Amino acid sequence: MNASTSTRRRLIGAAGGSLALWPLAGWALDAPGSTGAPVILTITGAIRLRNDRDAASFDLPLLEALPRNSFSTRTPWYPQPRKFTGVPVRDLLAAVGATGTTLVASALNDYRVSIPADDLTRNDALLAYRLDDKPMAVRDKGPLAIIYPFDERPELRTAVHFSRAIWQLRSLHVE
Amino acid sequence: MTTRVATDRRAAPRRAWMGWLVTALVLVLVAIAYVQWHQFKLLDTASHYQNDALGWSFSQLQTEQLRLRNEMQSHLDDPALHGLAAVRLRYDIFVSRVGLVDHDRAARIMAQQPMYGPAVAKVQAFVREADQWLGPAPSMPLTRDAVVHLIPMLDELGVPLHNLSLSASHLIYQRATERNSAVRQQAQMGIALTAFQCLLMLALAFIVLRQFRSLSERRRALEALADTLSTARREAEGANRAKSVFLANMSHEIRTPFHGMLGMMSLLQDSRLTPQQQNMLGTARESAEHLLDILNDILELSQLESGKLQVLPTSIDLPQLVAQVEALMRAQALAKGLVLEVHMAPNVPRWVRADAKRLKQILFNLLSNGLKFTRAGTVGLNVTCRGDGALLFTVTDSGIGMDDATLGRLFQRFMQGDETPSRNAHGTGLGLQITRELAQLMGGDISVRSQPGEGSAFSVWLPLPAVGAPNAPAGAADMQAGAAARRLHVLVAEDHPVNRAYMEAVLDKLGHNAVFAPDGATALAAVQSAAEGFDVVLMDLHMPGMDGFAATRAIRALPPPRGAVPIVALTADAFHESRHLALQSGMNGFITKPAHLPQLRDALARYSAAETALGSATRGPTAGEPPMTNAAASAAPMIEVSDDGLDLATIADVRQSLTADQFSRLLEGFFNEQARLLPELQRSAANGAHGELRAHAHAMKGASASLGLQGVVALAAQLQRCPVDAPRALVLEQLGAIERELNASREQCVKRGLLSA
Repeated sequence: MNASTSTRRRLIGAAGGSLALWPLAGWALDAPGSTGAPVILTITGAIRLRNDRDAASFDLPLLEALPRNSFSTRTPWYPQPRKFTGVPVRDLLAAVGATGTTLVASALNDYRVSIPADDLTRNDALLAYRLDDKPMAVRDKGPLAIIYPFDERPELRTAVHFSRAIWQLRSLHVE
Repeated sequence: MTTRVATDRRAAPRRAWMGWLVTALVLVLVAIAYVQWHQFKLLDTASHYQNDALGWSFSQLQTEQLRLRNEMQSHLDDPALHGLAAVRLRYDIFVSRVGLVDHDRAARIMAQQPMYGPAVAKVQAFVREADQWLGPAPSMPLTRDAVVHLIPMLDELGVPLHNLSLSASHLIYQRATERNSAVRQQAQMGIALTAFQCLLMLALAFIVLRQFRSLSERRRALEALADTLSTARREAEGANRAKSVFLANMSHEIRTPFHGMLGMMSLLQDSRLTPQQQNMLGTARESAEHLLDILNDILELSQLESGKLQVLPTSIDLPQLVAQVEALMRAQALAKGLVLEVHMAPNVPRWVRADAKRLKQILFNLLSNGLKFTRAGTVGLNVTCRGDGALLFTVTDSGIGMDDATLGRLFQRFMQGDETPSRNAHGTGLGLQITRELAQLMGGDISVRSQPGEGSAFSVWLPLPAVGAPNAPAGAADMQAGAAARRLHVLVAEDHPVNRAYMEAVLDKLGHNAVFAPDGATALAAVQSAAEGFDVVLMDLHMPGMDGFAATRAIRALPPPRGAVPIVALTADAFHESRHLALQSGMNGFITKPAHLPQLRDALARYSAAETALGSATRGPTAGEPPMTNAAASAAPMIEVSDDGLDLATIADVRQSLTADQFSRLLEGFFNEQARLLPELQRSAANGAHGELRAHAHAMKGASASLGLQGVVALAAQLQRCPVDAPRALVLEQLGAIERELNASREQCVKRGLLSA
């Protein structure tokens, strides 16, 4: 990774940050469950926009309303490359006006991992809610997973990043 | 030579060695690269993670099995608190875990574990069973009974899952150990290869160092050789120069007695001789004159070679110089029945800076050469101005011409164009050599074109810069009449009374006021104490006691303005060294004795006028000083001696400065003094008082030269140069000859009406 790309990424990160500070002050998050869908993600901690007491809760339609991205990559958990679709973590954090530097991600089975927010935004990590264009069941390690573009960036193929690619994601706590 | 061959022979195997070494180095580098690539593959994170993660996956599966069992039990215990949704979630999580242990890779890894297959089959069987109630498309509603039914099946999975988890962990430990040992092995290999590489590098460095050292040794050897060669060249040049100096001195020494011989022969010719004797004497004289020419050539060339000769450029009137040369050569051409054509291109500048004497010499040499080798026809001199401003003097003749071989040898020493035995041209072959050296000394060169039978064309080009016409000397016309523009106060340091008398007469005629000192010490005292100071000092170089050099240095040591008075040397010897010494000791100029009126007039005008601007004129020979040029000029050419041993030119010159009466008195004084001195000299000779004799001879030479008594000059010079260990008889004989010459000269002077009997 050369200096100019990292500089550009930092600038993009900064733009995302300022986006969170200014226009979203007038926005509000829609309340979850308006379409009867269950809440699948709860974000707590250092966020400025909330819709569920002191948390920001999302059901699938709410997440799908946010910017969307998708890529295919190989992972240690599937024998073949799979296509993941979801919200770029950067946009998700902007959407809740996150101000912290670390995310503590928890899974349904109580797996927990601490991830630097900067690592997620810089590496274009994705909060995936579709696997091969289909919603992810819990049996299929759904409903949500954080995925890095491991194929596009081979330097991410380390145990640390594999351990950060959490699946059956249930909640994020911003610190 | 031998050294280099040996070095080459040694270098060949060294090069082969080097080749092997470099090959080995490359191989080792390739091996190291391979090992490191292998290590990289070995440490490839993804596959390790998968292997390592398998143990985690098994234990997680076991954990989820226990948590599902626990959730089901809680539901049975308290259905209100623990709903079926929680059981479903736990079940989904459990199933999602199964996928992580039930795939091809896991099967491959666990291949040696016999319990893997049955255990996985058992888990799959449970999932198939449970999916009837808990799957994505349940066939039956989940009830308490179903849960009761499933719990024992779930329990049965506990032992195999636990065992699988354990064996997976052990397998992973084993894999890790294997991997570690492989890495260690490769690390060792890497270290060994690196060590080998270091050895090779050291060897290479050693060879390079040796190569470098041998190169620098060779360079040192070459430098030493170059030093030796340049020393040898310097020595050879020094020897050559010494030879030239010796030759110059010898020629000079030979010339002096030669003048005596010629003088004697002239006298002899006047005596009563038979026609046959006359004829023989004529031949002898011709031969002697020819010999003198040769001597002059040799002297000239050796002076050129020893660097004694200098070019002293002044502003000269080029058409006038060419006309003088033409006038002289026309007589020769007429005598031989040849036509002399001189032409100057219109673009040739009139006034140029050049050494007139040397330029004339070049033209004389070329023209006499042309006349010499031409039997009939024309000899031409053509002066043109080249594009770059250099002047081109071309001498053409319609003579015998030369072939290429002759042309090639032409400028080599002692070579003549015509080397056939029957040649009728005489010469040393030095003329062209001298001409070339002179041209080069003046910054130019000579070239020649010639065809046998069609004549030759010699071209000399010289970079002579054009100058403006010099201002006519102020009051030149007045001075011509004799009177100076300003009456100068002149101190003359001169030991010889006749010379003093002569100087007094000349200075008086020039309208100057002269004070005389017989030696250096008196002159110094006069300069120190004179009330008004002198405008100029004329200083004889050789005087008894303090000589001219010492007196000048002493005067220059005085505080100004007395110490800064212009001093002009007066001397009979015209050597370049003397002049150099004179300038070194602080003199401003140089006049050769006999000091004729025009010279004195010019010198006094120049140096007294320069008094105010003395700083610039005091040191070093400034270009364009006619007295010096004249001084140098009088060294080489043969002095024209009349048949009776009188230098008529000098006498005419002196007569111009003095009245007949004054000159007569001077002559009278000189002869009387010599008559008085001769017995003393004879006594000195008899006593072997050589120094005294030599001083007298020097004085006599100076005085007789001033008076134009050339026969006496020659003999006195001969006496002066007489070696210390010469036999007394010879010295006495020389004194006798001088006495006879004095008497003869006196008679001649009486005969010519210069002296009253």
